[in-house]
Amino acid sequence: MPQPPPVPDDPPPFLGTWRRVYATVLIYLCLIIAAAYWFTRAYR
Amino acid sequence: MRSLDWFVLIGSLVSIVAYGLYRSRGSNTVDRYLLAGRTMPWYAMALSIMATQASAITFISTTGQSYVDGMRFVQFYFGLPIAMVVISATVVPVFHRAKVYTAYEYLENRFDAKTRALASIIFLCQRGLSAGLTIYAPALVLSVILGWPERATTLLMGATVVTYTVLGGIKAVTWSDVQQMLVIFFGLVVALITVIVLLPHSVSFGDAVFLAGAAGRLNAVTTRFGWNDQFNIWSGLLGGTFLFLAYFGCDQSQVQRYLTGRSIAQSRLGLLFNAIAKIPMQFFILFIGAMVFVFYLFIQPPVLFQPTELARIQASDAYAPVARQYSRAFEERRHAAMALVAAHHNGDAAAEQRGIAQYHAAQKEIDGARAQASNLVEQTGGPRGFSDTNYIFLSFVTRYLPAGIVGLVIAVIFAATMSASSGEINSLATVTVVDLYRRHVRRGASDHHYVLASRWATLFWGAYAVLFAGWGKRLGSLIVAVNAVGSLFYGSLLGCFVLAFGFRRVRGTAAFIGMLAGEAAIFSAFLFSSISWLWYNLLGCAVVVGTALAITYFAPAASGRADTRQPE
Repeated sequence: MPQPPPVPDDPPPFLGTWRRVYATVLIYLCLIIAAAYWFTRAYR
Repeated sequence: MRSLDWFVLIGSLVSIVAYGLYRSRGSNTVDRYLLAGRTMPWYAMALSIMATQASAITFISTTGQSYVDGMRFVQFYFGLPIAMVVISATVVPVFHRAKVYTAYEYLENRFDAKTRALASIIFLCQRGLSAGLTIYAPALVLSVILGWPERATTLLMGATVVTYTVLGGIKAVTWSDVQQMLVIFFGLVVALITVIVLLPHSVSFGDAVFLAGAAGRLNAVTTRFGWNDQFNIWSGLLGGTFLFLAYFGCDQSQVQRYLTGRSIAQSRLGLLFNAIAKIPMQFFILFIGAMVFVFYLFIQPPVLFQPTELARIQASDAYAPVARQYSRAFEERRHAAMALVAAHHNGDAAAEQRGIAQYHAAQKEIDGARAQASNLVEQTGGPRGFSDTNYIFLSFVTRYLPAGIVGLVIAVIFAATMSASSGEINSLATVTVVDLYRRHVRRGASDHHYVLASRWATLFWGAYAVLFAGWGKRLGSLIVAVNAVGSLFYGSLLGCFVLAFGFRRVRGTAAFIGMLAGEAAIFSAFLFSSISWLWYNLLGCAVVVGTALAITYFAPAASGRADTRQPE
């Protein structure tokens, strides 16, 4: 398969690397699930 | 609707559409008409992605879902951030570098023409069905508020959306989406504040949250696993991840949003914004539904929220005893709720337990009366499997919200419909023209010819969506129906893209047969088992990958070779 010409892969505007941005999003998901679980338990 | 409502509604819609069309000037080439010349900034893509996903169904049906089943539907979105990260890291750079118009165009580069054609056809089947439901939802709004026949309102909404999409292309769609999401965010906040203000003076916001919890409406996380349980944390994290991987990675209605980005980074930021904002937004909408439930603990709601069917059963002799049982149970539930609030204020745990028991007994009576009323609908010639979930929020809005706010909420619902539907129709037209017409029917024609073909394809899919919209009322809760229909097709598409990205040895014929096997497995599960539709994506994907790998390793001669025809 012919390779298309490279397209520049810019760094993110914050946190330096995309890997760190992805990790932040996944940590955020864990926190939001924990918050939703607490919410459910608190008002059950 | 009062004059102020009409003013807010018409003013909002005209300004949104006019702004979108204004920003779409110069969309006269295929690249500009279908991909906005790949010039869109991340925030426009981010809001467009959210707007395309958040159709009117989100507001009409999600709030009703929360009213009848609590907030556990939010778990469905737990897989979304995971999917966004995976897609940003893997799919986005590949699609950008391949400079494709559609996700399925990439499949020809990787496999062959028949695999691309099959994936395109699967997408057209799936998204064509969903597009009908998207238009049906606001038609429902108009029929409830204005008393117009649903068929006429479906036609009116469809014609408006098609006209706007045909004229403006994806730039009009995207910039309108930006405006629409701003109206939606504002409308949601106003709706929640209004619900809370309308609660009885003796019931504080804290009391309302306490009551919603006691009534089981704040069950945002449920940890018990069940294959046929639609919404729990496991189906959300596993099934939801696969569904959103398929939706954002293989569904052209979403892929086309981020293909318009001016760079890989801009497209990634658009998707990751969605990863951050989607769960809180859905939580917020479900919470509004829970607060509407609390409001109706103190103000008696109608036995059925669908006014036409309610009027029909009211003419029946069997209605009077049902209505009496319902009113009596409502009074008991109201007293139980007030006692529960008093016990909560006094810190009396024993009285709280008694109040909860009384509440649940009364709620059971109310559910029984509503079930009898639903049966009466069928017995008096109404639709089978009647459900009024989609009417709950609208019924509340039109009865109790003040002038101006009603118009704003209706504008939110219209705006959401226009954004979701225009995005769907635009993507259907793109796949029809780029993947089928330009590839297999008319190769090498002028740019102008393909722009014209895209406009005709948009018109065709708009008409198709309007015709299918007539089925909407037979599908129960719309938000569930849309995702359930999608799940019949997404698993195979996802499996094909997993093969494309993750298994270099797999060739075209193996992927093609794998997709057929995946569809067969999903439809078998749909027809012959009670497995929740959230698992169909995982099942379909696994069957596609397993079948293709088996062919590749055990029957390599049949696994296919690269297609020698040149893509356009």
